[in-house]
Amino acid sequence: MSSKAANPILRSAAWRISLWASLAFAIGTMLVFGMLHRFVASDIQRRSDAWLSGEVGVLSDVATRTPKDRLYRRVVGEVAELASREVPNHQQSSSNENDAVFFLQAGDNGPAKLWVGAGDGASNLAAIRSTRMAPDVPFDLRVKGFRIPFRVAAVRIDDGSSIYLGLSERDEIHVLKNLRVRFFTLWVAMVLLGFAIVFYATRKMLGRVSEITEAASRIGQSDLSSRVPDTKGDDEIGHLARTLNHMLDRIENTVHQLHTITDSLAHDLRSPLTAIRGKLETTLATDLRPDHTEAIVTSIDELDRLTEFLNTSLDVAEAKADALRLNRTEVDLDELVRSMSDLYEPSMSDRELQLEVHSEGPVRVLADAALLHRVIANLLDNELKHLPASCLICISLRSDEHMATLIVEDNGPGFDAEVGHHLFEQRVKGRASRGHGLGLAFVEAVVRVHGGQVAATNRNEGGARITAKLPLCRIQEREQPEALALVST
Amino acid sequence: MRLLLVEDELEIQSFVKQSLTDAGYEVHTAEDGKTAAILAAKNVYQGMIIDLGLPDQDGIDLILQLKKSGMMSPVLILSARRSVDDRVKGLELGGDDYLTKPFAIAELLARMRNLLRRNSPPTEDATRLRIHDLDLDMIKRRATRGDQVLNLSPQEFVLLEYLCRHAGRVVTRSMLLTEVWGMRIQPDTNVVDVHIYRLRGKIDTEGREPLIKTLRGIGYVLKGS
Repeated sequence: MSSKAANPILRSAAWRISLWASLAFAIGTMLVFGMLHRFVASDIQRRSDAWLSGEVGVLSDVATRTPKDRLYRRVVGEVAELASREVPNHQQSSSNENDAVFFLQAGDNGPAKLWVGAGDGASNLAAIRSTRMAPDVPFDLRVKGFRIPFRVAAVRIDDGSSIYLGLSERDEIHVLKNLRVRFFTLWVAMVLLGFAIVFYATRKMLGRVSEITEAASRIGQSDLSSRVPDTKGDDEIGHLARTLNHMLDRIENTVHQLHTITDSLAHDLRSPLTAIRGKLETTLATDLRPDHTEAIVTSIDELDRLTEFLNTSLDVAEAKADALRLNRTEVDLDELVRSMSDLYEPSMSDRELQLEVHSEGPVRVLADAALLHRVIANLLDNELKHLPASCLICISLRSDEHMATLIVEDNGPGFDAEVGHHLFEQRVKGRASRGHGLGLAFVEAVVRVHGGQVAATNRNEGGARITAKLPLCRIQEREQPEALALVST
Repeated sequence: MRLLLVEDELEIQSFVKQSLTDAGYEVHTAEDGKTAAILAAKNVYQGMIIDLGLPDQDGIDLILQLKKSGMMSPVLILSARRSVDDRVKGLELGGDDYLTKPFAIAELLARMRNLLRRNSPPTEDATRLRIHDLDLDMIKRRATRGDQVLNLSPQEFVLLEYLCRHAGRVVTRSMLLTEVWGMRIQPDTNVVDVHIYRLRGKIDTEGREPLIKTLRGIGYVLKGS
C-alpha cells in the first residue's frame, strides 16, 4: 500500500467522504460556538451594566447629600475610588493603578467639576459631550487616546450637573478573546481528529469493498472456485460479500454440472471408440487382403475424425458457456506461429500455396498453449482445404499496449456471401467445404474465453481475413497463477 | 518385463493386453483398484498402465496410494476424460505419462517403451546414430546415407532422428506432432504425411532400399537394423 503514490489516496472515496464529513462537523461546531459566544458576551455586558447602574446610583446619592464645601471633592472622590475597586471581572492592568474606571461630575457646559481616574479626564468629558445618550441606560463611549471603549452610566443630580461612571470594556473583551482563542485551538484539534477518525474508518470499510472487487475480478478471470473474503460483520459489506459468494456458489454449481455432463458424455463415447479403434488396429496388424486393409484404414480415419469432432464440439459447448477449463501458461505467439508455419509449409507448397509470416519478435500472451495450437492449426487447415492453387497466405503478428493481434489472410476467393455473418456459428460451412463446420466456431470460442475477439471479413482487394485479438501477458498476471496456487492450498 | 494393466472395460483390456503380449511383455491385469493394489503388493512390475475411471476408486488415487507404498515403476495413465486433470499434470512432471482415449496402439507401445527406457540408463551413443547405411552425426547435425551426404533442413533432421531412435517400431502422426513439433493437435489435413514424403524423397532415392515405410491407418516405421 505505502509503495503506491499519494494520488490514489486523494482520489479515493474515503478521502472525499472524510473531507465532506469534517467540513460539516467544522461548520456545525462553528455555528454552535457563535451562539455561545453571543450569549456569553451579552451576559457579561448585562452584569457590568447592572454594576454601573447600581454604583452610579450610590454615587449620585452621595453627591447629592454631601454638602458642597471644601470636603465635597474629597468625600465624593473617596467614595468613587472605593467603588472602582469593586469592579466586576477585574484583572490587574499592566499600566497605572486604575485606568479601568473613571468617575466624572460635570455640568452641561464648562470644565469637569470632579474627576477621579487616570489622566485629567478632558478627553473623556469631550467624548461624553459629543455623544447622544439615552437617559438611565448605559452606553458605549469611545475616548480619544484609549483603544478600548468604556461603558458609561449617567445620572443627573439636583444641582443640574451629571455624574458619569465609566468602566473600560477591556476586561470583557479580554475574557471573550480568551474564550475564542481556546475554542479555536480546540476546534482545529477536534476537526483534525474527526477527519482522521472518519478517514480511518471509511478507508477500512472501503478497503473491504476493494478486497471484494479484487477477488471478484480474479474469479471472473480464471478461478471460479475461490471466493471473495467473507467478513464476520453483519453490515452492508458483509451482506455484499455473502451475496456474491452465494451467487458464485450457484455459478460454480452450474458450471460443474455442465462439466459433469460433457465429461460423462465424452467418457461414455470414448470407451466404445477406443475399443473399436483397438480392434480395427489389431486386425490391421494381421495379414489381410489389400481391399480389406483399405476398408479398415478408412474406418480408422473416420473414427479419428469422429473423435476430433466430439472433442471440438464439447469444447465449443463449454466455451460458449464460459466453462472451458484453461491451463494458462505464458505463450510466445511469435514462436508458436513460426513452428506452425514450419509444420504447414510443406503441405502448402505441395498445393502451390505460398505461406508468409510477418512478425517482429516475441509477443507473449497468457493462454492455454494446447488450445492455441489447435486454433492456429484450425485456421491453417481451413486455408489448406479451401484455397485454390497459387494463392498467398499471410500470417501477421502485431501487438499494441494491451492486445496481441494475429491476422491470417489470403488472396483467394474469400468467404461465401451466403455464409456471411454466420461464420462463427457451429455447423455453418460453405457448400464446397468438407469439414464438420466447427473450425471457426472453435476458434471464436477459444479466443473469447481468453478475453479476446475474432473478426472475419473479406478483404477489399479480394480474399479472406481473420483477425484474432488476445490480451497481452502483463507482469502481474504472470505472477497470478502462483498466487492462486497459494490461495487454493 | 512384467507390466500391470488396470482397466475396467474388458474390451479395451483384452486388446491392450494382446498387443502388449505381442510386443513381448508379460502382462497382469486388474479390473479395479483393490485387485490392482493386491497384485502390486505381491509382484514387482517394471511398469503400469492405469485407467483413471475405475469402478471402485479414482485412478489417480490408486497411483498416489501405490507410490506412497514405495512403488517406483513408471505409470502410463489412460484417460477418457476431456481435460487433463492438474493432478495428472503433476504425475506427468514426476516422470509418468498419459494418453487420452481413443489412442493408437502403436502410440501406447511407444510411450510405454519410452517410460521403461527413462528408468534405465541410456545405452545409445549420444553423438552418433547408425541405422543400416544411415549415419546421423548429432553434433554437426549432418546425415549421410552410404557415402552420400543428405541435404536436410534442421526440421527434417529432427524428424529423421526421431524415426531412427524408434527404428523398427511404429510411430504415429500424433507422436510425431508431440515429439518433433511439440504440439498436441489433430490436424484435419495431412500435414505430417507431407513432411514424411519429403524426407523419404531425400533418403529413399532411386536404386536404394526404401527405409521409411507407411503403415496406413497407423503411422510410419523406419526399418530397424
